[in-house]
Amino acid sequence: MITGAMPRPLAGQALALAGLLLLACCASLLWGAGDVGPGRALAVMLGQGDAEARFVVTTLRGSRTLVGLAVGMALGVAGALLQTLSRNPLAEPGLLGVSAGSAFAVAVALLLGTSAATLRIGVAQLGALLGCLCVLGVARVRGLGQDPVRLVLAGAAFSGLLSALTTLLLLFDQRAADEIRFWVVGSLSGRGIDDLLAVLPSFMLATAITLLIARPMAALALGERMAAGLGHHPGRVRLLAILVVALLVGGATAIAGPIAFVGLVVPFAARALAGPDIRRSLWLCLLIGPLMILSADIISRLVVAPSELPLGVLTALCGAPVLVAVVRRRRLPTL
Amino acid sequence: MSLSVLSSSSPHHRAASVAPVPAPAGTHRLARGHVSVLLDRRTLAANVLLLVALLVASLTYLCLGERHLSPLAVLAVLQGQGEGLANFLVAALRLPRLGAALATGAAFALAGCLMQTLAANRLATPGIIGIDNGATAFAVASVVGLGVGMAPPAMALAGATTATVLTFGLALGGGTQGYRFIVAGIGVGAVFGAITNLLLARVAIDVANAAYPWTVGSLSARPEGAVRLLVVGLALGVPVALALSRSLRLMGFSESVARSLGTRLGLRRVQVLSTSVVLTALAVAVAGPVGMVGLIGPELARHLASPRRVPVLASALAGALIMVLADLAGRLMLAPLEIPVGIVTAVVGGPWLLWILIRPRRHGVA
Repeated sequence: MITGAMPRPLAGQALALAGLLLLACCASLLWGAGDVGPGRALAVMLGQGDAEARFVVTTLRGSRTLVGLAVGMALGVAGALLQTLSRNPLAEPGLLGVSAGSAFAVAVALLLGTSAATLRIGVAQLGALLGCLCVLGVARVRGLGQDPVRLVLAGAAFSGLLSALTTLLLLFDQRAADEIRFWVVGSLSGRGIDDLLAVLPSFMLATAITLLIARPMAALALGERMAAGLGHHPGRVRLLAILVVALLVGGATAIAGPIAFVGLVVPFAARALAGPDIRRSLWLCLLIGPLMILSADIISRLVVAPSELPLGVLTALCGAPVLVAVVRRRRLPTL
Repeated sequence: MSLSVLSSSSPHHRAASVAPVPAPAGTHRLARGHVSVLLDRRTLAANVLLLVALLVASLTYLCLGERHLSPLAVLAVLQGQGEGLANFLVAALRLPRLGAALATGAAFALAGCLMQTLAANRLATPGIIGIDNGATAFAVASVVGLGVGMAPPAMALAGATTATVLTFGLALGGGTQGYRFIVAGIGVGAVFGAITNLLLARVAIDVANAAYPWTVGSLSARPEGAVRLLVVGLALGVPVALALSRSLRLMGFSESVARSLGTRLGLRRVQVLSTSVVLTALAVAVAGPVGMVGLIGPELARHLASPRRVPVLASALAGALIMVLADLAGRLMLAPLEIPVGIVTAVVGGPWLLWILIRPRRHGVA
């Protein structure tokens, strides 16, 4: 079970990260693009403050922070699962085209006239599932999956194709295009608690499945034969893991748009801290993911205030160097 | 650079060999006095075929549109005897656009061919290793009024150079062959793509909307100064590339072999790289990043032309052909809507790229 006794060093790291995450949450509540400054926001948090500041802090920034937490957790865990699943340190939902798959599905749905939030989430998750199956299915033919770098290239080609198709679809419909153009670069602005509630059930389902498959996944990281020898069913575990990745990435994409590189950076950092065992690094992913998203979100609010930067831009700016750094290593570690 | 024995014959040499050396199989020798040229028959046939296809495609391009014209009417306009509406449609609207399509297609494909040969890696086209994105980011900076007061072509050149330096700098030590170089380039491209989005997010929505088709690659804007500059660039770049074609062929061998055959490899590499970067930047300044042409054009040319040579001219012709056909398809398919040509090439080129990656490997990456 994943809830075994945590070794002490991990607990210390987790505590430190949790402290940092708390700080990030507070910062996310205190600073914003509008004219409610840290002083007025602090007064609200201490129980005083005027009505306007209260509305801004609790309703706007509060729900936005919660959404950021959920999205960060989802993307971090999805990245870790996908990397373990494909035994590839470069596997990332954005790079492999999973996010592009769900963005494409959402564009199709918007074009067909759906607008209900829950429907959009389902569609995004379905798109993510199809994208995931496509890329991993391609990876299984001709030994493409054995070469981590080639798999990423195939994923990049696939997601380039899907985003071109998305753009093509948007040409049909100006209204959908305006609605979607800022969504496709990824942003948390204007996301409310309703969006979070809509996606929560699927995230809970994903959590339950993750708890169930954490141990088989750790065995799968040793290779399929080893996992089978240890009494697991690699095929079943693989399918479940793909399902979880699709639920998490689809949900996160439906709320915040495709945010690239989070699923690459977060497991990378978590493995550096906690070692290669996914049962240990998943815990840290749960903390580092939101930490990265919230920090990026705060920066995106402050850099060009009073307007905002798209979140995906910032994560790409800090994630792409990590990608290059991983690729430049002489020996790619296989997971 | 020493000339090959067959292409120049000194008096001394001529005296020594009484009977002319027979031309190698599959080639044809044109001799006139002291100078002789070896023509590869298959390459010649490929170039002629591509040229004919290009002429037919261009004529079709001028005929079809929201209002179709007959080929005869178009030819009449081209001879200066057209009537009102046809004159306007062809001379004012379609002909400049056709020119831009031809020039950008040729430039992208030629740049792609040069870069692939230089890196000995058929995936290493400027579009894939991030050079297009670098040029686009800088050019967008100048278009949305955030850059220094430089014209888009100059900014595109600066961006393309920056991206090239970054990608090749990151590849130092690892070499340019193999997939890692490509992924490093994809990383560089992602950074510049993010910068483009950042710039677009900072400006007013109208400006962003106006710049949007251009960031995916479109011929509808085609600033006139940039087109003129691109034509000048092509007029210089194609002869340079042709003159370099012997060195290009030697770049396919290992470094020591190329050196021992008498190439000044370092100098030639710089020349090839800078030609490719300049052509890419000038083409991006006209049409935005239509990078897939740089992959498909040389690929098509290599299929048609002789494997003995690097298909420089055939790549340029094939690129122009692809660009004209893609833009024609983009204009017609959803008329009156217009699909940006970059989208058309991405939809066609994406599966092609996937196929290159997953098909059984016969002879490595290169």
